[in-house]
Amino acid sequence: MVEAEKIPIVEMHNIKKNFGGLQALKGVDLVLHHNEVLGLVGDNAAGKSTLMKILSGAYIPDEGEILIEGKKVHLTSSWDARQLGIEMVYQDLALANNLDVVANVFMGREVVSFRLGPLGVMDEHYMERETERLLDRLKIDISSVRLKVDSLSGGQRQAVAIARATAFNTKVTIMDEPTAALSVAAIEKVLDLVRELKAQGNSIIIISHRLEDIYQVSDRMMVLRHGRKVCDTPVTGDIDSFREHVVAYIVGARDDFAEEGSDQS
Amino acid sequence: MVKADGSKPSFLKDLNTLLQQNIREWGMYIALVVIMAYFTIATKGIFISSRNIANLINQTGYIAVLAVGMTLVIIISHIDLSVGYLSGFLGAVAATAMETWNFSAATSIFLIVILGALAGLFSGFLVGQMRIPAFVATLAGWLGYRGALQLVTMSKGTIVITNEAYNAIGNGYIPDISSTTFLPGVHKVTLILGGLTILLYIWNAINSRKRMLSYNFKILPRHLFIIKLIFVSILIAGIAWILAGYRGLSWTAVVILIIVLFYNFIMTRTVLGRHIYAVGGNPEAAQLSGISVKKITYVVFCSMGVLAAISGVLYSSRFKSATTTAGTLFELDAIAAAFVGGASPSGGIGKVTGSIIGAFVMMSLTSGMNLMGIDISYQYIVRAMVLVAAVVFDVATRNRKKI
Ligand SMILES: Nc1ncnc2c1ncn2[C@@H]1O[C@H](COP(=O)(O)OP(=O)(O)O)[C@@H](O)[C@H]1O
Ligand SMILES: [Mg+2]
Repeated sequence: MVEAEKIPIVEMHNIKKNFGGLQALKGVDLVLHHNEVLGLVGDNAAGKSTLMKILSGAYIPDEGEILIEGKKVHLTSSWDARQLGIEMVYQDLALANNLDVVANVFMGREVVSFRLGPLGVMDEHYMERETERLLDRLKIDISSVRLKVDSLSGGQRQAVAIARATAFNTKVTIMDEPTAALSVAAIEKVLDLVRELKAQGNSIIIISHRLEDIYQVSDRMMVLRHGRKVCDTPVTGDIDSFREHVVAYIVGARDDFAEEGSDQS
Repeated sequence: MVKADGSKPSFLKDLNTLLQQNIREWGMYIALVVIMAYFTIATKGIFISSRNIANLINQTGYIAVLAVGMTLVIIISHIDLSVGYLSGFLGAVAATAMETWNFSAATSIFLIVILGALAGLFSGFLVGQMRIPAFVATLAGWLGYRGALQLVTMSKGTIVITNEAYNAIGNGYIPDISSTTFLPGVHKVTLILGGLTILLYIWNAINSRKRMLSYNFKILPRHLFIIKLIFVSILIAGIAWILAGYRGLSWTAVVILIIVLFYNFIMTRTVLGRHIYAVGGNPEAAQLSGISVKKITYVVFCSMGVLAAISGVLYSSRFKSATTTAGTLFELDAIAAAFVGGASPSGGIGKVTGSIIGAFVMMSLTSGMNLMGIDISYQYIVRAMVLVAAVVFDVATRNRKKI
């Protein structure tokens, strides 16, 4: 791959985050290259969601720095991150069930056709066409974009959440457990969607408990344990040896960064 | 839905799917028609008389206006208990402004609208900024404004309003062209307005249907569309005819119409309305999408305060006075109207037009039962049953959709 010579799209250095007395992250490094899918795994409470919320601007780290395409940035809100093209699909679906697909995709970014003083009048037709185009492009199958989200299946809702995150010139899409609580068929659809996004040039970080998901779609994976990175490796070999290898890191039997937590590899 | 499936469109099938999709909304309109028909028969036509309908509209005004604001509050999953006494208190302030300080009607109304907005912002501050549950924060308002109302009316008990321009808002009717030859005894301007409304409605409906067709929206099949046009036109014509038979369109009705049209526009067409629904549906998601939940909370409570002021104007002008008990329990009537009108107690769902219909359903019950001479105790029980029925209907239809 040529990505080694390029500047990574995301670099996080020595990220630390405490919640009260709890050290959720103890100095984590993360690199994401252009058009790469990075799998992020680890046991419950390892700090995966916290690390990603820092990258998406929802949390502010106590220490450490973040570089986007080689430039140092300070993310103080999800708005900041969004301006830089970083979007996160939250673990607990960030959709409004009382609204239709169009309204959810454009939530907070409604397109205005004209203004009456402080009131922006929405351009429904434009938003509807764009939503249809977006769902088509991502090969998401929903009969009408005017359906309310609460009448969709779990898989369709997850697809809408992902589509929404990738709708607006997104460079980095972060997905926190996108396959949790989905049927097998729905999981396949979501994984197809991840592949489709990669094919269209997106860079993606995906968190999952399901190692087979990570194995199927990721180019590289890293393991967090107790707020530290313990493994960072390309995804290779067959699924069984991959699983065995990764589980050893997750449970703490192996650790590539044992001596100095913030060491560069 | 339209012709995509290739099957022969069957009228009954279309009607059936349509009813299923909008059962809650249609149910309410049907309920209103049934209630009105029943009382018309039971009172041998007195209920539907021009005079009674004109009265009914003027009586509903001050609750309907509150119900509009309450709908927004309920959509963002809050409640506002303070607005009844706020309405009474602000009416008393307007009365004092005109009678004691010699303010003009317009200045007095302007003053209490500003005060209402400030009161609303204060509730918004307690709820949105300090994160006090709305029930508690506005209960404090309920107590406080009740005290304030008694303070203002303390010296006289009742402040009589002598300003005629002001009193016309609650009692007056729009002017008519005088003619002794053409349709004597009928309010011609009201008829003309009714006719214009029908034309405007049909023009608008056809236009938006064309637009929706070109964008492949789901639309009504042609025959149902025409039936809907005819039905609504007859309804408007009927209302216009009834009102024209008495003194025409009242100023209160004009105020209600303007407020409903304005709020309906905001809630269905503007970014602000969309954000209000989003905050109601999922506040965390809205916040993460860059919508300020705090700002929306301020805006919604502020609008509620302004509408409480307008409600205060309608009530005090109607009775040409401010009393110590003005506004008592208005908030509960407004909340009931919103729920009967289809607002969901769990937030995110509700329509301004629905709440207005809800207000008219509740007021029709009161008016009809009064005409029939039914004791007030039974009236409360009947209204209670209607409220329960509406909410049960909601829960039932919503659960069925999930399956
Ligand atoms: N907002 C918060 N306040 C307090 N503790 C938190 C907060 N968010 C996460 N934590 C704690 O930080 C640790 C890491 O959590 P998290 O990043 O959610 O783990 P993961 O996503 O890997 O399961 C956990 O012990 C969790 O309880
Ligand atoms: Mg997590």
